[in-house]
Amino acid sequence: MSFIEVSNISKTYKISKRKSGVPGMLANLFVPKYENKEAVKNVSFSIEKGEMVGFVGPNGAGKSTTIKMLSGILYPDTGEINVSGLIPYKQRKEYVSRIGVVFGQKSQLQWDLPVIDSFELLKAIYSIPDDVYKKNLDRYMEMLDMDKFIKQPVRQLSLGQRMRADIAAALLHSPEIVFFDEPTIGVDVVGKDAIRNFIKDLNAEDGVTMIFTTHDMQDIEKTCNRLVIISEGSKIYDGTLDGVRKLHGSSRQLDVYFMNDSEVAEIPDVEIVEVDKRHSQFIFDGKKVHINDLMSHLLGTYNVKDINISEPDIESIIRKIYSREKVAG
Amino acid sequence: MRLSAYYAYAKKQFLSRSAYRFDHLMGILSTCLQFFIFYEIYRTLYGSKESVDGITMSMITTNFVLSLGLSAIFSPNDYFVPGRIWDGSISTELLRPMSFKGRMIAENVGDACFNLIFKFIPVLLIAIFTTGMEKPAGIGNMILFLISAILGYGVLWTISFLVQMTAFWLINIWSLITIKDVFVNVLSGMMIPLWFMPDWMAGVIKFTPFASIYFTPVQIYLGQLSISEIVFKCGVQLFWTVIIYALGNVLWNKGQKKLVVQGG
Repeated sequence: MSFIEVSNISKTYKISKRKSGVPGMLANLFVPKYENKEAVKNVSFSIEKGEMVGFVGPNGAGKSTTIKMLSGILYPDTGEINVSGLIPYKQRKEYVSRIGVVFGQKSQLQWDLPVIDSFELLKAIYSIPDDVYKKNLDRYMEMLDMDKFIKQPVRQLSLGQRMRADIAAALLHSPEIVFFDEPTIGVDVVGKDAIRNFIKDLNAEDGVTMIFTTHDMQDIEKTCNRLVIISEGSKIYDGTLDGVRKLHGSSRQLDVYFMNDSEVAEIPDVEIVEVDKRHSQFIFDGKKVHINDLMSHLLGTYNVKDINISEPDIESIIRKIYSREKVAG
Repeated sequence: MRLSAYYAYAKKQFLSRSAYRFDHLMGILSTCLQFFIFYEIYRTLYGSKESVDGITMSMITTNFVLSLGLSAIFSPNDYFVPGRIWDGSISTELLRPMSFKGRMIAENVGDACFNLIFKFIPVLLIAIFTTGMEKPAGIGNMILFLISAILGYGVLWTISFLVQMTAFWLINIWSLITIKDVFVNVLSGMMIPLWFMPDWMAGVIKFTPFASIYFTPVQIYLGQLSISEIVFKCGVQLFWTVIIYALGNVLWNKGQKKLVVQGG
């Protein structure tokens, strides 16, 4: 039995469907139309203690719904969730005292109060013992560099500062599992790095189990060792980050810079992305297209200034997986 | 049960209410205005008459001071749940290791304490010095009045709770809350003392929970009820509190399964 065990969970939302404008509104008033949207379809997975798992998927893929079911906010329609013997949505009160959740888009701090006052309130809510509270607070203050804004009201903080305060708030009671729902959304590069490093350190030092959702593949590359890809409510990949790369291991990307503006003609079995008039990307399968042939073709046809060959980054691999899924589905 | 957490919420609410001083002054003013409008209407209606149907002007005054005063204290926040469902922040509330309903009551109690000290007492003092309000019929009546007022709060709170629970399905329940307010204001005797209702209507109102919110405490305060009647009417208050709470709780349990977290 794993630490977190999820078997065949599904969740369907009823969405009101109405045409736009006044006629649509009137029609909807008398004959409301609903459409069922399956946000999560039969998803199963298990997670061990101390693991760091990233959930990725396009908007509306069902990541957040999955996280919300895992954190006990939503009931799954069917299927079961078991976290070290507890059922999150049924034993909510007992369960949530052992987890921490960070929503990138919703702050759980008190808007009008200084950050430290929100922390004090959380101390009372979770009955955190004085020594644990002090130890955690000191540690997060230093790791997240919060002394500058800890006494400011939350509404005066920058997004990056608020995010750091929110993360500290979710961790004050030393939770065993932490959920991050898009923790770096809208945060600048330096801030993102600080957040990622903090998350990584905490996982390494305390063995806290961490579950992420994100759109930013950098988040995943820099923190997680396991990746779950969700698309249109179904799990389509579950494994290591390297595994994804290997799935597309023979794929190569050739960046070609031209001396002058060039129109690139089609080449069989090669995907061409025109970045601008003087820069095109050629993506191809190394097993199907021989690199020598492609290079000599390009050098012979165009006036080439520079060439760079690389493996496609994880982002474009994932993009490919999504689009393939859409074609298949 | 971790009481300190609920206490922290009550205190937070109390403190954040004190942050908006202008709003609070206006609150006192609006309660005073309501009181004096009703007071003047009935004074004009009474003219030089001592009493109508055995009801004296001072009894009317007492009814308004107490029921408007209690309503100023109670004022449960009808938008607590709907607001949180509407903007999706209910998700963070459900992540707290405490009873959601307990937390809801804690905030309301924080509010009520604030209203008692900063709204009810000023209005009461103004009314005592400017109008002929009756004294309580006795010390025993005063104590029973307080008990019955707390039970009345229970009835009002559970009605609000029941209405709020419909927000799980309806999301926006502004109109439902307005309808509830009309029922509470008219049928509780807050606007028209229940003594003056026509017999058939008084007979109907007797069987609704509304009459037991303010009117029962007022009758106890004035010494209009015998001990056995007091016990019965307080029992009715308790009965309604339990029944309405149970209904609301059914919706609460179903609603959690229906919950749609809006906005991502």
